[in-house]
Amino acid sequence: MNCHPHLRQLLRRHFFSRCSMGVGSIALTSLMAKSSNAAEGTVVMRNPLEPKPTHFPAKAKNIIFLFMAGGPSQLELFEHKPKLTELNGQPIPESYIAGKRFAFMDSSHKINLLGTKRTFKQHGQSGAWVSDLLPYTSKIVDEISILKTCKTDLFNHAPAKLFMNTGSGQFGRPSMGAWITYGIGSECDNLPGFVVLQSGPRGPRGGAVLWGSGVLPSTYQGVPLRNQGDPILNLSAPPSVSEAQQRQLVDTVRELNLKRLIETGDDEISTRINAYEMAYRMQTSAPELMDISDESQETLDLYGIQDVKETTFARNCLLARRLVERGVRFVQLYDTNWDHHGGPTENLEKHLPENCRLIDQSSSALVRDLKQRGLLEDTIVIWGGEFGRTPMGEVRESTGRNHHIDAFTMWFAGGGFKGGEIYGETDEFGFGAIENPVHVRDIHATLLHQLGLDHERLSVRFQGLDFKLTGVTPANILNDLIL
Amino acid sequence: MKRFFVLLSLVVMAANQLIGLSQAADSASSTIQFNRDVLPILAEKCFACHGFDQSGRQAELRLDNREDATAKREGLVAIEPGRPEASGLWARITTTDPDEIMPPEKTGKHLSAAEKDILERWIVQGAPYEKHWSYIPPVRAEPPIVEGVSHPIDRFIHSRLHQEGLHPSKRANASTLIRRVSLDLTGLPPTLEEMDAFESASSKDGVKAYEELVQRLLSSPHYGERWGRWWLDQARYADSNGYSIDAPRQIWKYRDWVINALNEDMPFDEFTIEQLAGDLLPNATEDQKIATGFHRNTQINQEGGIDKEQFRIDSVFDRVATTGTVWLGLSIGCAQCHDHKFDPISQNEYYRLFAFLNNQDEPTLKVFDPDIDVRQLTAEFKETEKRLSKIFEEHADELEAWETGLTSEFKKILAADARKALAANRDKRTFSQKRTVFSIGFGSVESFRDANERYEELDELLNKGTSTLILRELDKPRKTTVFIKGDFTRPAEEVTPGTLSILHPFESTSESPNRLDLALWITHPKNPLTARVIVNRIWQHYFGRGLVETDSDFGLLGSRPTHPELLDWLACEFIDRQWSMKEMHRLIVTSQTYQQSSEDLAALRAKDSNNYLLGRQRRLRLDGEIVRDVALVASGMLSPKIGGPPVFPPIPEGVMGQGQVKRTWTVSKGDDRYRRGVYTFVYRATPPPSLNVFDVPDGYSTCTRRNRSNTPLQSLTMMNDAGFFELATELEKIIERDGLKAAFRRCTSRMPNDAELAVLRKLDSITAARVLLNLDETITRE
Repeated sequence: MNCHPHLRQLLRRHFFSRCSMGVGSIALTSLMAKSSNAAEGTVVMRNPLEPKPTHFPAKAKNIIFLFMAGGPSQLELFEHKPKLTELNGQPIPESYIAGKRFAFMDSSHKINLLGTKRTFKQHGQSGAWVSDLLPYTSKIVDEISILKTCKTDLFNHAPAKLFMNTGSGQFGRPSMGAWITYGIGSECDNLPGFVVLQSGPRGPRGGAVLWGSGVLPSTYQGVPLRNQGDPILNLSAPPSVSEAQQRQLVDTVRELNLKRLIETGDDEISTRINAYEMAYRMQTSAPELMDISDESQETLDLYGIQDVKETTFARNCLLARRLVERGVRFVQLYDTNWDHHGGPTENLEKHLPENCRLIDQSSSALVRDLKQRGLLEDTIVIWGGEFGRTPMGEVRESTGRNHHIDAFTMWFAGGGFKGGEIYGETDEFGFGAIENPVHVRDIHATLLHQLGLDHERLSVRFQGLDFKLTGVTPANILNDLIL
Repeated sequence: MKRFFVLLSLVVMAANQLIGLSQAADSASSTIQFNRDVLPILAEKCFACHGFDQSGRQAELRLDNREDATAKREGLVAIEPGRPEASGLWARITTTDPDEIMPPEKTGKHLSAAEKDILERWIVQGAPYEKHWSYIPPVRAEPPIVEGVSHPIDRFIHSRLHQEGLHPSKRANASTLIRRVSLDLTGLPPTLEEMDAFESASSKDGVKAYEELVQRLLSSPHYGERWGRWWLDQARYADSNGYSIDAPRQIWKYRDWVINALNEDMPFDEFTIEQLAGDLLPNATEDQKIATGFHRNTQINQEGGIDKEQFRIDSVFDRVATTGTVWLGLSIGCAQCHDHKFDPISQNEYYRLFAFLNNQDEPTLKVFDPDIDVRQLTAEFKETEKRLSKIFEEHADELEAWETGLTSEFKKILAADARKALAANRDKRTFSQKRTVFSIGFGSVESFRDANERYEELDELLNKGTSTLILRELDKPRKTTVFIKGDFTRPAEEVTPGTLSILHPFESTSESPNRLDLALWITHPKNPLTARVIVNRIWQHYFGRGLVETDSDFGLLGSRPTHPELLDWLACEFIDRQWSMKEMHRLIVTSQTYQQSSEDLAALRAKDSNNYLLGRQRRLRLDGEIVRDVALVASGMLSPKIGGPPVFPPIPEGVMGQGQVKRTWTVSKGDDRYRRGVYTFVYRATPPPSLNVFDVPDGYSTCTRRNRSNTPLQSLTMMNDAGFFELATELEKIIERDGLKAAFRRCTSRMPNDAELAVLRKLDSITAARVLLNLDETITRE
């Protein structure tokens, strides 16, 4: 029995148009002539990451999330609170903290207010307050929406990071990037749809689960791009293997897999054939992506990149732009050590300024660069951490602040977010919201909304529950922040 | 966690619809069955607001029981049996008023015309309710009589196929069969000798040869490894503490306990009791205590600044949810914050279950070498410690003089712990610091040297040996309360241990029932769920899908069984066969249904494209560990050693730096480099990439069904990973020694045909070896 005409046509199209490696020595016709009992149905060439329709028209296509891991202090950066400085050293009124729980309750947590030593100025047409630690960011305030009343549920690092990424403090839920690539796929056929980049002295607390796919298939999990060795694990052929051998490997595996596909009619084999093709393409596209030597000096200067090989947050920002240029859907940058308790390596006097210096120029450069290339319209840039820091000081080896979940600052740019918007108001100490509190799930709902996804409909059933990024509590779209 | 994934609820609905292929109420004349036809609609579309959960209930209306649904309330009635036109429900689902329509538009839910039709006819027929099928104990049905078919499973399956005008597929050929059943029962492909022997025996008496093969595989110690992994997924086993610090832990004795228990075919009820409450059995043995490691596979948060009680409670939440999912197939965890939305599980009942699991200490058990006399050695250890202390006193003055004379250059070259010991105040040094200091200065003093050597020997035997995490019941139970919204800072009323009222009654003579009573309740033959849930999960392994597709949700929102009578028959059989898992395996794999070809035939595809009716077998990609195990066997490198501490096969550089704390990974030497995947050390935060890309669960929460994804990262791993390449170089040697045919057969368990050989012959031998290991067929069982 001959192969079904429809199958034949699909295979033909697959080989002659979608395959980037050429037909090589494949005896396609003879293989097809010899088949077999394959079902006379359609064999769909499936790529699990191919673009999918949105729920409604999207306003953005991509997200770049600059994650300041550890919890940056909003009170040193965006929250100008003269009262806090005035009452420095005095206990915070009991009414603020009655019944509240904090990290380090049993040891270093303190209740005395800590005024900031930074100087604040208003910037741009919006008049946004930004401290002297972020001179570059202060120049883009009219491009960004500053959200001052973010609120989360959990005050320890790993659970809070999970919460910001997955909408839950429990392990095993899909991360935002996984939800999004699951929901709308990716426009890139030679790189993963969800990519993670890291800078700073260590990996983020929580590790791989922060970009995990949870109950979704691992197809959708974030792929860390590494700065040393292969950018993607196992990207290069083993050292003793020649280019020709590698190509023969891929061609022959495809040929034999195709033969098995025709014999069995199992769609999974066509997915595997696709996977090998994409893997092969990645071997070229990922090193090409990572090689930023083709960027102009002007661009490198914009980001403040001195050494094109050195792993820095700045280089990762530039890579993020290159990734969205190539159609990658979700890029997440982790920069670690923003946990300024006042410990020996993380205090407010010395280390916070250093952290800021390393991210300020490049994060604002990213927004500018995207804008000048016409990519900002489609790309949402997010800046923030898993929580903020308390108005009360913490005294360890030096000065710092404890974890704070009631009100912290994040900013958003591009992808339909308004520029020059300052949203939410906190009390005189910056402890809690007095106007427009925004929960993490509202942020999630809004981001999905911008990508054309309804957070109520983007769900998956697992162990009897309909899982959603935004969980069971109703979430609100932040209409005031978006165009 | 991971993870059973259903493509939205579509798949579930597809299954539910399929079951109705020819049975369902598709013509106006047929009788509506509540469980089959009505309940799925009510559960999916109505119960979120009009169901069991009191707090979420709208308009005080509940539709989950007949009494409430038919009650007159202020002159109105939601369901007037026999009279849709007098039923508020009918009016509200058929109105065109957008403010009135049910379900409300904002819920995103919508009733189809067919669904409305079912509801209308159900009301016309008197709106009878039934208890949800899975809460009713299974009843053994007589397998239908099908001509020429004797195996009970086949009688159920074939009879259903015939109803649809379909026929089962032919038996798979011998080489496919031996590969399939070997991989399914032991996770290892057959050797060339085993294939030859089976093919030759099959040609004489196919049935007998197959039965003998099954017997051999069930007796193989590798059976325990394969099915041990099945259970370890559910137990959320891994070798580290999780969260951000993710320090390594020792609990592999529990893993070995599982493998041994399965190899010995420990009855499933006993298997359950020992894991949930082994410590509470009279004169509990060391093994029975080790078994309680099941519920110690929860994470431990070692991050600074945490409230320990919060994370202890979190681990108990996980234990309750895991117990519900694994044994009862119920999403009990949903009732942690509120009454269950769909299933009749109240929040109060949730905390009564919580109370059973809230009363233990979480100690570490030292596991001694069985050949040593612990008591005697412990006495000697104390004695040696005294001897050493005395020596330190005798030499105190000399020591002080020596220390004073130490130069900073000298100190610099010392190891960190030695420097620390020297820096410590002389009077405040720990015993171990005293030993360190003394051995630097006076290590050659004979009396010290002798005593110290013995001390270290004994320390190794008694203190540094193997340990494992276990449960131990507290003498005085903790107080358990309901937590409002699941928040441990908001305790409400106190509760006592108790079980779910929807299921069989809880029997205990004790005044304060404990985990043992819970375990006995779970394994009670009257429990309608445990046997069904477990046989379904065994079945799922063999066919890629359970008879109940939602294997961990037998509740109202789960899918209904495709073959309810077969499921019940198997559950009854499981109990009657004294809960023998090996006998259930034998029963299933000896059926024709299991032995069918997996070829996707046109006739079947047209009518049953998802193969719910099992007119064929199914090609299944192997589990991540087994992908590598197959390569190990094919290349002749597998170390068959069973059990022992976890091993560290090669992994790519840089992987361990992705977590907060960089962990070391010293690649195992010798045979341990080539052990089966089940023995690979798994850090939860930085799982081994070659396992992780193939959907091996990371141990964060229970996984009752793995995903089977198919991704480019898998291709990169198979092509380029140094570990796989090393195996390819070994397979290359086999190609050179035994030829391509033999190598092909080692990978796929079948002979290559001429066309395949011609393609492979064009390659050099290393490329051919790599191709063979990369074939879809090599990592699939067909």
